[in-house]
Amino acid sequence: MSLLLRLAFRNILRQRRRSILTALSMIGGYILCAFSFSLVDGSYGNIIRIFTQDRTGHVEIHKGDYIEHPRIYKTIDDRAKVTKVLDADPHVVSYAPRVYAPALAWAGDKNTPVQIIGIDPARERNTSLLARKLTEGSWLTAATAPDGHYHALIGRGVADALKLKPGGHIILISQGADGSVANDIYVVQGIVGTLDSAEKLNVYLPLAAAQSFLTLGNHVHEYAIILNNIHLARSQAAKLQKLLPGLTVSPWQDVEPTFYKTMESDKRGNDVTLGIILFIVFIGVLNTVLMSVLERTREFGVLRAIGSRPITIALLISAETLILAALSIAAGFVLSVPLIAFFTWHGIAMPQPIDLGGVAFSDMQGDFTASVFVRPALILLGYALLVSIPPGIRAARISPAHAMRTF
Amino acid sequence: MRFVVALVAVTATFAAPAAPPGDGADAARAKAIIDKMEDLYRGAASKAQVTMRIETPQYQRTLEMSARSLGTKQSFIRILAPIKDRGIATLKIDKQMWNYFPKINKVIKIPPSMMMGSWMGSDFTNDDLVKETTLTDEYRLHMDETADQYRITLIPKQNTVTVWGKIEYVISKSPLLPVSEGFYDDAGKLVRRLTFEDPKDFSGRLLPSVLEMVPLNKPGHRTLVTYTRLEFNPPDVTEADFTLRHLTSRF
Repeated sequence: MSLLLRLAFRNILRQRRRSILTALSMIGGYILCAFSFSLVDGSYGNIIRIFTQDRTGHVEIHKGDYIEHPRIYKTIDDRAKVTKVLDADPHVVSYAPRVYAPALAWAGDKNTPVQIIGIDPARERNTSLLARKLTEGSWLTAATAPDGHYHALIGRGVADALKLKPGGHIILISQGADGSVANDIYVVQGIVGTLDSAEKLNVYLPLAAAQSFLTLGNHVHEYAIILNNIHLARSQAAKLQKLLPGLTVSPWQDVEPTFYKTMESDKRGNDVTLGIILFIVFIGVLNTVLMSVLERTREFGVLRAIGSRPITIALLISAETLILAALSIAAGFVLSVPLIAFFTWHGIAMPQPIDLGGVAFSDMQGDFTASVFVRPALILLGYALLVSIPPGIRAARISPAHAMRTF
Repeated sequence: MRFVVALVAVTATFAAPAAPPGDGADAARAKAIIDKMEDLYRGAASKAQVTMRIETPQYQRTLEMSARSLGTKQSFIRILAPIKDRGIATLKIDKQMWNYFPKINKVIKIPPSMMMGSWMGSDFTNDDLVKETTLTDEYRLHMDETADQYRITLIPKQNTVTVWGKIEYVISKSPLLPVSEGFYDDAGKLVRRLTFEDPKDFSGRLLPSVLEMVPLNKPGHRTLVTYTRLEFNPPDVTEADFTLRHLTSRF
């Protein structure tokens, strides 16, 4: 075996210029691949991070099929148990309870449909980006205003439609969980987001106020959870599900399936493009290997004549290609590390920041993880093995007598 | 709410003054029976103390309210309990309806599109409150008679816009009181049933004291209306009770 490797090494070094040129195309392929993976993972990681923090959290807990069919009475009733489980979990960084209900909002003679979201102001601040989106007024307080009404945060769309400013009164009418007509007045404390953001028609109430408004008792519709590592969302959701039978624990991928699937299909598209580029790279490599086999027909004939088995010759060809690929990967890795590091920690500013759910997203960023470097390496090695097989078979089939007559 | 005007509104269903004669002798007799029932209630002003129990698979809720009516066209309901809903009031004048919410001090007119919506989460619709008096204009009457009951079938006349495909009304002969009302959709399927139960003496009149509305397309739902007190022609029910000013007044 070591003889085989030594032979393969020597063969590579014998045609240095050709080996270097072949290696260069593979190095290029590796860098392209690693860079592209890094950017895709990085920017999607960024989008997912912002998206999950903005809306879903990494994991959400609901009652039954609330995600697909939200109904006001599908509530999480045993909150003490949920908080106990979440508090005990080392991966849970923060969590926030929420209640939801559609409502009609009035101010003066204007009205608009809104979405009521009851939040725990302190917990929400640590869990979602809502507090960062405050554009006017101040963050929600759970206590009542001096006139006895609870406070509310409203989306920019609500503020515009009802011509409301912080300090103004907003009237909400909805249906309570007991079928009663929920109606009350709230004092606008702040305005969040922009006209484009997802929360433009939301009205945020302190949790207790929303619960009493909707006659929900101490029940909530949702717990949004932030984990210390977003990649744990699925496994953590499965773990929490076991601890919380009777409730539905979903990773963000299941909470927003459309978003997730669109993103995944975009990633797949990117993978296909890369695959095609690498395929072209390796057709070149295949050509080189075939050439070197053809060139060495006589040599292989001699090897066969002195007793080498056909499989050894095939393995020799594969070993040569794989060693060349491994060297290219090593070189590619050395070259791509600074490039990817730059994009990960510095990023490039986009000419026009993208507004993602009200949070400005201004840098194109890479991702510096093992996966970014390992995946292209594995793809390259796989391709190298693949393209070395036909020439290997060809070389193995050489008949010594015939081969030694050719030059 | 059919319950509001007690049985006034319910039976006045058939009592539109301009009711054209139905088709055939049966219809004429049906009308005669209805006229008789109508005489029982016509012109009555009423004042009632009502308990409404709403049952659904998700929640149960009991409302205490006071209701008053004048004729068949004006009625007024005010919720007294639970405390959360206290003061919410509904005014109905002819075909118009308003809800008043004291907490937000707002009168909301029920738009036509909301007429089939639920009243305060119950199985009675807003339409139940305002629609009754026009039924005879829009439906043809047909009567079957058994030993102790009249069964009157109402089928919409052509070119009328109606909510129901058919209404089946059962009246007992002795005492002459409503028994049940079945509401059918256009496909001929029974979608809800109103039953009149437990006749009691109210100020000298025997009237069913419990109305049960069961929507058959919503399993587990029902609304039970119980009269705890019912007075006829009380002196304190006047036109002034059926105004927007009274709707928003403190009590």
